[in-house]
Amino acid sequence: MEIYLPIAEMSVHWVVILGMGLAVGFLSGLFGVGGGFLLTPLLVFYGIPSTVAVATTLSHITASSISGALAQWRKRAIDFTMAGVMLSGGILGTVFGVWLFAVMRRAGQMDLVVSLSYVVLLGAVGSLMLNESWVALRTARAGGPPPVHPVNHVWIHGLPLRLRFRQSRLYISVIPPILIGFITGALSAIMGIGGGFIIVPAMIYLLRMPTNVVIGTSLVQIIGITALTTLLQATSNYAVDMVLAAILIVGGVVGAQFGVRVGGKLSGERIRFLMALLVLAVFLRLLWGLVVPPSDHYSLTLGT
Amino acid sequence: MRLALLSLLLLVTPVLAEENLVSGVSQDLIQITSNYTGSDIVVFGDVERQVKATGRDIVVVVRGPDTALTVRRRDRVAGVWINHDAASLNGMPAYYYLASSRPLVQIAPPAMLARYGIGMANLQPDTVHAHHDVEPFRQAALRLMADQGLYREAPAGVEFLSDTLFRAHVPVPAGVTRGQYDVEVFLLRNGIIESAQSTPLFIDQTGLERRLYNWAHDQPFGYGLAAVAMALIMGWLSSVVFRRPV
Repeated sequence: MEIYLPIAEMSVHWVVILGMGLAVGFLSGLFGVGGGFLLTPLLVFYGIPSTVAVATTLSHITASSISGALAQWRKRAIDFTMAGVMLSGGILGTVFGVWLFAVMRRAGQMDLVVSLSYVVLLGAVGSLMLNESWVALRTARAGGPPPVHPVNHVWIHGLPLRLRFRQSRLYISVIPPILIGFITGALSAIMGIGGGFIIVPAMIYLLRMPTNVVIGTSLVQIIGITALTTLLQATSNYAVDMVLAAILIVGGVVGAQFGVRVGGKLSGERIRFLMALLVLAVFLRLLWGLVVPPSDHYSLTLGT
Repeated sequence: MRLALLSLLLLVTPVLAEENLVSGVSQDLIQITSNYTGSDIVVFGDVERQVKATGRDIVVVVRGPDTALTVRRRDRVAGVWINHDAASLNGMPAYYYLASSRPLVQIAPPAMLARYGIGMANLQPDTVHAHHDVEPFRQAALRLMADQGLYREAPAGVEFLSDTLFRAHVPVPAGVTRGQYDVEVFLLRNGIIESAQSTPLFIDQTGLERRLYNWAHDQPFGYGLAAVAMALIMGWLSSVVFRRPV
C-alpha cells in the first residue's frame, strides 16, 4: 500500500494520505474553508518535509475552491472588480512570501517560521472566533436579536484612490483591499493556506461588503493566489509534489461533498463555534511543539 | 626482454602465493518504482587459495553516493526551541552498510580501521562548514542516519556457506538516495587487509516517478503550470460529478 512520492523523495501509505484528504475535505465542506491550516500541519506531523507540505497543500486548496467558485459564479455572486484589485495585492504578497520562504529555507529556519506563523495566526483567529460564536450562541439560546457590531471605519473612508465596486455597492479606496490581498498572498506562500478565514472576516467587517458576494469573491481571490503560489513554489523551490497533490485532491473533493451535506443541518453559530475549537486545538498542538524541550536536540537534512 | 620478464614475474608471483578474493553482487542495478518498499541485494564471494579458516575475516561495505549532511541543533531562545547552531558535513555517504564475519573490534585494531575508514565510527567528512567543534555534530549525524536505517553495521552479517564461500544480505531500504553505490569487499587476515574488491551498484528511480522528478527539475515552470491545471481540472470535474440535481 506504499507509494513513492517523487518530489518529497519518500514512501508513504497512500491510504493514510487519502484519509487525510477526506477528513480535511469533510471539515472544509462543513466549515466552508479551504482547510489548508489543517492539512499542512497534518502532512508535517506525518513526516512530509514542511517545504513540500506547504507547497503541495496549495494545489489541494485550488481544487477544492474551484467547485465553490463555479457555484457562486452561476448565482452571479462574484465581484470581479474587487477580486481583481485584491489579487493585484495578492500577487505582490505571494512573490514576497515565496522569496521569504526560500531565504528561510536556506537559513534552516523554515520549520520555525511556519510554526510561529501558525501559532500566532491560529491563536488570534481561534480565540476571536470562539468569543464571537459563544456570544452568538448564548444570544440565540436566550431568544434575543443577534448583536450588532458597531465598527467605526472613518479611517478607511478617508483614504485616497477611491474606486466604485458596482457589485458590492461600495465606493472605497483600493488601498485596504490591496493590503488584504498582500497579507493573504504572503501568508499563503509561507503557511500553505488559502487564507479564507482571514479574507472573509476582513471583507465583512473592514470593507463592509454585502455577505452574498463575499464567499464567491474570496474564492476567486483564493484560487488566484494558490494557483500563483503553486507555480512559484514549483519554479523556485521545486517543492510541489504532483503525486501527493493528486491523492489529496481526490480525497478532498469527495470529503467536501459529505461536509457540505452535514453543514447544511447545523446553524451558523454552532459551525463557527466548532471551527473555533478545531482552530484552537491545532494552535495548542503547535504551541506544544515549540515550547516543550525536543526529545532530540539535533536534526539532520541530506544536502546543504 | 629481461626487464619485461622480471616485471611479469613480479606481477604473477604474489597471485600464485597469496590467498585472493573473488566477489560479486546479485544485482548491479536497482530501480525504484512507485511501489518500492525496499529490497535486498546479496554480496557473495570466495576466498581462493585460503591458507586456513581461522584468523581470516570478510568485511562487506556498501557505500552510497557522497552527499552533504547538514546537522542543526535546537536551542531555547526566548522560550521557544529554534534551530540555532548548524554544521555542514561534506563528503559523507548517503548510505552506509557494513557486514562482517565477526564484530569489527575482534577483526582489527582500531587504528587500522580508522586508517582505512572502515566502520561507521570512522566515517569522516571531507570538508566541514561550521563555526565550532564539529565532533558532537558528526556524532549526531551518525546517530540520526542510523535511526533512519541509512547507516548500519551487521557484526555477523557475513555468513560462510563453506570454508571459503561467503555471502552477505544488504538491505536497500525505500528512501535511499539515487546514484552510484560502491560495494567493497575486504579480506583480512590477523587484522591486515590481504585483498580488496570494489564493484559499482546503481540505484535509480524509474517509470512515472523518474519522469515527474526530471520534469519538475528540468522545466519547473511547465511542471508548475501542469500542477495548477491538474488542480483546476480535478476541482471542476468534482463539481460536475457531484452536482446536485436542481
